[in-house]
Order: sequence, then structure tokens, then C-alpha cells
Amino acid sequence: MAGMSSKRLQKELVKIQGTLPPGISLVSADNLREWLMDLSIPDNPIYPPTDTYRLRFLFSQSYPIEAPEVTFLPLQSPERKIPLHPHIYTNGIICLDLLDAQGWSPVHNVESICISIQSMLAGNTKAERPPGDAEFVRSNRSRPRDINFLYHDPSV
Amino acid sequence: MKVTFSAYHAVAEWKWDLPADADDTCGICRVEFEGTCSKCKFPGDDCPIIIGNCTHCFHMHCIGDWLLAESSQGKCPMCRQPFRERLADAAAVATPAGGAPRPGMVAVTPTPARTPAGR
Repeated sequence: MAGMSSKRLQKELVKIQGTLPPGISLVSADNLREWLMDLSIPDNPIYPPTDTYRLRFLFSQSYPIEAPEVTFLPLQSPERKIPLHPHIYTNGIICLDLLDAQGWSPVHNVESICISIQSMLAGNTKAERPPGDAEFVRSNRSRPRDINFLYHDPSV
Repeated sequence: MKVTFSAYHAVAEWKWDLPADADDTCGICRVEFEGTCSKCKFPGDDCPIIIGNCTHCFHMHCIGDWLLAESSQGKCPMCRQPFRERLADAAAVATPAGGAPRPGMVAVTPTPARTPAGR
């Protein structure tokens, strides 16, 4: 399995270092376990074009059979906020079907995940946090993959 | 003029006989079908391709790993229909003389100097 994840990530890295869609850029991929990507959102007043959001990807040895762990990472400098969205908690955890075990497929990749998250933000009309955000952020000790999200509002 | 060949070196190329609209690469490992999955060293019979009823193709070892994972729920990674291997009689089976190749593997006209590279 170890060979599988590193060979595939190596291929993805070569492709990503070539071209990426607008608003998506690679920050670092110093090893094949953790990658940082920056995201900006076009045409949505909730997310000013000057704002950039940082995604952290953590890959297990079983990638791509197993989904990577993808969260938003807050930073002071350069400033990276957690985007306001009814499926994104203040601690950076994202509730998105393709990232959990039920919705994941090994044909997804770093680029397609970035595109999905970028379009989930671009299409958002609600400048708000998920219900129960404060309580979840205070009490959650689980890794994102172990959380059973309730998809309370699939329309968002 | 009389030409006498003292020796010749034949080179052949092969590729899998896959559905016409199939991708060139396995969606799981992202390696060309004619290359190997990430666990194998030698392409070809040792690292065969499985064609699904849904026409999506994968290296046998790649789709096997996925279907063993609980989260796959037995579904095709591309279309999420239950993954069933297409039976050989549904595809044209190539049987060149002198061999019993796996269904799905087809010989291509010999061309100069290209050997399948294990990637």
C-alpha cells in the first residue's frame, strides 16, 4: 500500500506543478504525507477576491483507497481565515460528502477536491457557520474521518 | 542482387483490447493500462485489466484493493453502480495462434522499437 500512495501522489504532484485552475495554487508538498494548497473564490461577495484560504491535505498510506483528511488551516501571516460557510466549522473541519468514507472514490484527487471545495464556496449564499458550531468546536476530539456528520441541509 | 539476412530482431507492440471509449489510464493509480499498477513490476498478464459491466476499466489489483475497502460498498469508483466484471464473451476475444492469451489482450501490428515500459 505504501508504494501505491507515494507513486500516485508523485504523479499528482508533477501534474499540479504544471497547471492548476485559476484560484487554486500549491503552497508546499515537502513530503508525500502533507500538502498545503491555497484557494481563492471568484465572484462571491462573501469571499472577497483578496482573501485566500489555506487547505491542508493529510494522506494516509492507503490513499487513494482511503480519502485524504482535508481541513482549512488558519494562519496569522500570511493571513488565512476559515471561510464562512454552513458546512465549515470554525476549527477548519469541512463537512463534504466526497471527503467522508461514504462519499469518497479513489478517482478523486487533490485537484478535483480543491475544485469541489472552491465551487462549494463559490455557490454559497449563506454567510454563516453550521448549526452547533461553537459546541462542536469546543467538544470535538475526533479526526474528521471519524465524525459522523448529519447532512442536515444537502441544498447548501 | 541477392540479399541474405543473417539475423533479424523483431519488435512487437501490444495493448489491451478495451472498450472504445475507455480512458488510457487507470483512475485509481493513474498509470496507463499498458503499464503496471503500483505494486507490480511487469505489465501484461501479471497485472491484468478488469472491465466492468459499466465499461469502466481498472488494473485488477487496483480495483481489488478498492472493493476490499469497506467504504467502496462494492461500487465502481467512476459511476457508483455496483461493480461487476464484464464476462469475456461480451468482448471480442483475440486468440492469436500459438498462445492462449487472456481475453482482452490483443496484438497490434509490429512497429519498430517500442517495448512496453514498466512505469
